[in-house]
Amino acid sequence: MDRDGQVLAVVVGVVAACALLVWLAQIPLKYNIRNLKVRWPTTVLTALAFTLVVALLTVMLAFVNGMKALSESSGRDNNVLILSEGSTDESFSNLGFSDIGDIERQPGVLRDGDQPLCSHETYIVINQPIEDPPPGRQKRRFLQVRGLDDAQVSARVHGMELFPGGEWFSAGGVRKLAELDEDFSAIEVVVGEGIARELGQDRRPEKIQGATNTARIDVGDVVSLGNRRFVVVGVMKSAGTTFDSEVWAKRSVVGPLFGKESYTSLVLQTDDARAAESLANYFNTEYTKASVQAYTEPVYFRSLGETNRQFLVGIIFVAAVMAVGGVMGVMNTMFAAISQRIRDIGVMRLLGFQRWRILVSFLVESILISILGGILGCALGYLANGWTANSILSSGPGGGKFVVLRLVVDGGILGIGMLVSLSMGIVGGLLPAWSGMRKRPLESMK
Amino acid sequence: MKYITLIFKNLRRNLIRSGLTAVGVMVLVLVVTLIWSILSFLDKATAEKADNLKGIVSERWTLPSQMPFSYANSLSDGSAREPQDARPTDAMTWQFFGGSLDPKTRSFENSLFAFALEPAKLLTMMDELDNLPAAQRDEFSLTVKKLEETRQGVIVGKTRLAKINRRVGDRITLYGLNYRNLELELEIVGLFPEGRYDSSAAMNRDYLNAALDAYPLTHNGEQHPLALKSLNLVWLRFPDRKVFEEVGQQIAESPFYSSPAVKLETASSGISTFLTAYRDLVWGMRWLLAPAILVTLSLVISNAIGISVRERRMEMAILKVLGFRPNQVLGLILGEALMLGGVAGFLSSTLTYLVVNFWMNGVRFPIAFFGVFYVPDAALWWGLAIGLGTAFVGSLLPAWSTRRVRVIDVFSKVS
Repeated sequence: MDRDGQVLAVVVGVVAACALLVWLAQIPLKYNIRNLKVRWPTTVLTALAFTLVVALLTVMLAFVNGMKALSESSGRDNNVLILSEGSTDESFSNLGFSDIGDIERQPGVLRDGDQPLCSHETYIVINQPIEDPPPGRQKRRFLQVRGLDDAQVSARVHGMELFPGGEWFSAGGVRKLAELDEDFSAIEVVVGEGIARELGQDRRPEKIQGATNTARIDVGDVVSLGNRRFVVVGVMKSAGTTFDSEVWAKRSVVGPLFGKESYTSLVLQTDDARAAESLANYFNTEYTKASVQAYTEPVYFRSLGETNRQFLVGIIFVAAVMAVGGVMGVMNTMFAAISQRIRDIGVMRLLGFQRWRILVSFLVESILISILGGILGCALGYLANGWTANSILSSGPGGGKFVVLRLVVDGGILGIGMLVSLSMGIVGGLLPAWSGMRKRPLESMK
Repeated sequence: MKYITLIFKNLRRNLIRSGLTAVGVMVLVLVVTLIWSILSFLDKATAEKADNLKGIVSERWTLPSQMPFSYANSLSDGSAREPQDARPTDAMTWQFFGGSLDPKTRSFENSLFAFALEPAKLLTMMDELDNLPAAQRDEFSLTVKKLEETRQGVIVGKTRLAKINRRVGDRITLYGLNYRNLELELEIVGLFPEGRYDSSAAMNRDYLNAALDAYPLTHNGEQHPLALKSLNLVWLRFPDRKVFEEVGQQIAESPFYSSPAVKLETASSGISTFLTAYRDLVWGMRWLLAPAILVTLSLVISNAIGISVRERRMEMAILKVLGFRPNQVLGLILGEALMLGGVAGFLSSTLTYLVVNFWMNGVRFPIAFFGVFYVPDAALWWGLAIGLGTAFVGSLLPAWSTRRVRVIDVFSKVS
């Protein structure tokens, strides 16, 4: 069973256990529901506090889920990433030119005729000044440029496709543009969908109005990177991968332009996951012609989850503390409910209801409030599904990938939201219900 | 005074409710205080200064910035060529060396990342170390002196030292991570003051440069691949913005820095750019998380005060019979809420301030290159303000409803 299934099973289990208790205790559920209705302002306020706690938790977890989904879907399990030895990140990797040919000719690397399916890459992070940014936008950004020798091969290795109307950059990597000076050519680039949206937002409102695509930059648009003009020749269908935030261009053009002439990484395609694992193992343990570090892509992208772990710890802390606030709220509500209904408790006890059934009766009320708040909170949090956000994926200090991710609210997260809400209801209701249970019938009737 | 005594007595009447509400307020104020502490630190770090500001020189286009060490001296002097040229008042060079303690298993856990610099600059140019309290500064000066005297010395942060399971005085060998095939023998000469540099290390730049110079002797005369890219950043201090601008122009116009080109930006601007990746996270903390917690806080208080008002309608009626005017009754209820919220909020932020700053030595939440955050002094009034504000908002409606309590209605129901 996957994580979503496990969480939902726990939620169903808790609700079923509550229902079983109600059935065993044979308490009049109508009585509890009517009480909640009569004290509706208190019920609504308490449920609203639950709603906010659960909604925030859902949004925060959706952020982490989006990062997790991004790192998991970026790698292909039959690809092997080669970096220089000791490098944990592409930014710090430097592969020797002379080593490339030998590495890609190793047995196990898939070939298309004579051509090994190997993507030769130079990964560069550029500090891009933003020309004339619209009000409120930043003046600089870090832009990730991936220089490639052969766009077609790299696209095949990474499984990337273009939106209709686009094309991969040419063998020369540059083209003349009518509006530019004759002496200068524009550098052809293919951009990820996410960064295309980000770059699109850098345009001033008047430019957006006149643009062919108002949501993002598109084929034919010209942008500045460094001191050169770049023309967009294609937009990648890259949503859900780290390539969504990248700009791809001809390596022999952008490498020297930004002072990085060596290769940073190679991506080799193999038959399947097992072949990839065995090839990575071979490079790490037996290959001696060059000092390299090999990772299967899923392993590499999983290693970028350190930031995710740190965010998760922060989220758990915030959610736990907020939940304590919610618990205090429901405790207040239930203590008040009990003090208002002491006589009811006495009557119920005199009618023969045992103490534990009184406890269940009051506990059910706080659980009902938590279910109401939880459902509303999940519904509110679900609105965040699909929001995009900027973040960073990294394996530790230094390096990392700047990414545009999509928040993902799935069944598992909604289940966690409901579970937290139910837990707040149970913990918050237990103590007041316990105190209600201990009331003596005759004293209650006084 | 009697009014305040009455408020106190009313709060004491239902200790469970007052206690639960106070705990609710305290935990929620705790979260808001921590969030605002992080935001206020980031705001301060990215706020442009008018004088005594720091600038960073780095490679113009790419990250990580890798410049030849030959840039170091002239950049430290602000690229000044004539006596009348503008100059920075102080400068510091940074070279990053990351190394693993185990040549076979290279992981974050057994690695050390050090700034290679001139030791004396630790006291004059490193953020937060340049304005340590006198006693701490005297103590750290001794450590810096040891580093100056020990070319192979290294100062390590407390957390990192514990992680690599070493002690001050130990000798270690670092196998280069970014500087492949470069091994450095280091002696741990001391610790950073607790806080921001808990996970960092600093070593003498002369030792790293000497190791790079010696590299060809053991590698068939070949230079290390990073030999001409070993300078990562140059920090400059300026008396004011005018000097900063002039030095910026001198550096931009100098033909010396062409391959690679360099740029000078204020430290705050550099940090802002780096924080772009966290833009949405920071936005979420500022405009989603903190406000939602404040609303939750108001709801918790509103609920408690609402229950209290509904339970005490008879008491309100009696107060009115005794001559209390509606506004006085309203004031009484508002006073109870404000007292509870204000005291709980103040206590919470004060406890957070003391525990985080003096017991936990900061909150560890890595954003960009900031690993540890402290609760600022201003937080002492944040708690009071949050408590009072949310109590006022939360209790206004229930308190207002007490104005409408009609004596005749209450007593007719009783009769």
